[in-house]
Amino acid sequence: MKRSHLLAALVVFILSLLVPAVVQKDFVLQILFRIYLFAALGLAWNLVGGYAGQLSLGHSAYFGAGAYSLALFSGRLGVSPWIAALMGVAVALACALLIGGVSFRLRGPYFVLATIAFAEVLRLIAKNLPEVTGGDVGVQVPALFHGNVNRAFYWAAVGLTAVAFATTVAISRARFGYYLMAIREDEDTALSVGIGAAKNKLAALLISAVLTALAGALYGSLFLYIVPDQVLALDVSNEIAIVAMLGGAGTILGPVVGSVVLESAAELFKNFFKEAHLLIYGVLLVVVVLFLPEGIIGTLGALLRRRALLGGIKASARGVTGD
Amino acid sequence: MFPHLRITNYQLQVHGAGVRLDLYAALQAVINGLLTGALYALIGMGLALIFGVMRIVNFAHGAFMMLGMYATYVLFTRTGVSPYVLFMVAGILLFAAGYVIYFGLLRPIHGQSDFMQILLTLGIGLIATDGVLLVFGADYHQINFPLLGKNLHFGQHLNVNAPWVVSFVIAVVLALTLYLFVMRTMTGRAARAIAQNRYAAPLMGINVFRVQAISFALGVAAAGVAGGLLLPVFYIYPQVGDQFTLKAFVIVVLGGMESIVGAALAGLVLGVVESLTSLYWGNEWALAVDFVIFLLVLSLKPSGIFGRQRA
Repeated sequence: MKRSHLLAALVVFILSLLVPAVVQKDFVLQILFRIYLFAALGLAWNLVGGYAGQLSLGHSAYFGAGAYSLALFSGRLGVSPWIAALMGVAVALACALLIGGVSFRLRGPYFVLATIAFAEVLRLIAKNLPEVTGGDVGVQVPALFHGNVNRAFYWAAVGLTAVAFATTVAISRARFGYYLMAIREDEDTALSVGIGAAKNKLAALLISAVLTALAGALYGSLFLYIVPDQVLALDVSNEIAIVAMLGGAGTILGPVVGSVVLESAAELFKNFFKEAHLLIYGVLLVVVVLFLPEGIIGTLGALLRRRALLGGIKASARGVTGD
Repeated sequence: MFPHLRITNYQLQVHGAGVRLDLYAALQAVINGLLTGALYALIGMGLALIFGVMRIVNFAHGAFMMLGMYATYVLFTRTGVSPYVLFMVAGILLFAAGYVIYFGLLRPIHGQSDFMQILLTLGIGLIATDGVLLVFGADYHQINFPLLGKNLHFGQHLNVNAPWVVSFVIAVVLALTLYLFVMRTMTGRAARAIAQNRYAAPLMGINVFRVQAISFALGVAAAGVAGGLLLPVFYIYPQVGDQFTLKAFVIVVLGGMESIVGAALAGLVLGVVESLTSLYWGNEWALAVDFVIFLLVLSLKPSGIFGRQRA
């Protein structure tokens, strides 16, 4: 990433922070909150699913761990909300250690299935232990912000996206990032040149889980109430993965673009399709796989590179023939 | 024949009537489990053909089962013909759908990574589920026909619901047919040849795409037929298939991937395990137990319970 790109990102970040000065309507701020929240989630997922190439379809586990820890530690044990949110990060880390420890030994579809199975077990535990978790009825979540709530949550989501973005930039430039990409391209070759695949994949998952748990806590706290089928549902995992794949897995900007496109489309189609709003996700998935396998950013990048390459060839051809 | 049963009988005399009832409750649970398990077996065999043999990761398997259910449901409400006839129509419809989906969507991404297949079939599943939701609404439905109220009694304590028995018998017959198809027909042999070596198979004159399309469509049809057989004894709603997708994968992995027979046995075992879990821990834990068993098998014995060691 060039310096000018980083500067552009910084400008976008500052402009994003200034948006509430212009936009006052609560529902617009809530939509923007959702866009940034899923941008952050997509960026977090991208570390594991994009850079390391390990398609996790169980990120709802960390999302739900963040939301439920905030609710339960604060509601049942009386811990202050922000400390409870941090404890949620610890719980998500523990989950990631367990899930990663088992699933990373598996490859391909078995890895995907194991991540789903873990997330489902967590959802069922949350559903079936009403004395602890509130069960199907759900549980109240304490407010992390007071006063002008929508503005505060919007800023928090922008901040989280900025942190996730900066983390992604740092990792993509670091040795660690190249290790992850090497593992994605060919795990056996990576192992043979001395890259500890298990260790690096787990490190990526831990970072991803921290960001995802924080996003889960924010989400739960905005709605003040959570149920298992909402924050621990497979739909959450799918949405996170779709955001990243649509924008371009393994690219820095992809998840952000993916979230803008997916969440806007979801908002537009929500009134159209009512309960069947997941229809648009299905259509987008099929379109991405068939026509944009590298996502929007990946495909755009390839087009630009090809144009630059063709331009270079034409220029040098002109140089040779002398016209 | 049942040595453990004799021992329990001896204990019965010691403990009295309470234990006797417990024993019958457990026996009843096992019978119920086998009845459900036969349908699981059919769904699992379908996925074993698609995923285990053809290596197509089908995340829409449960959605196809749901489509089979809805197809039977719609035909039943329009014509009033018995669902035990209509499920065959559903099977034919889903075979056609599977064939079209293979050539229209799956073949274009042939040779790409598993993840692309997963995302594609996930998308197909979402479109199917929410398409049905859009057309039929989110309401639960259940069909009603005379056989539904009939129970068969065995002795004083055991009884089974008649539609379950009919579904069971049909499922067993279909499972045997599917098995014979894979083992005895030319197409079945070709499918197994592709599973053994996908590079050598085309050299032997096997049309890989055609055989894959037929196998995929057959697997989809098996799921659809199971859905049709499940309709008389189950509620129907658009998301009904969701949990069956994962269950089908659990069955295929337990059964040892490539083995059609393994999947059939694993389906029966899963049915009994779920039924006993429901009896002793409560219905709500059955699915969780499925997944825990799945994770244990994946991490401890990836070749499955009934499978041979994978290369």
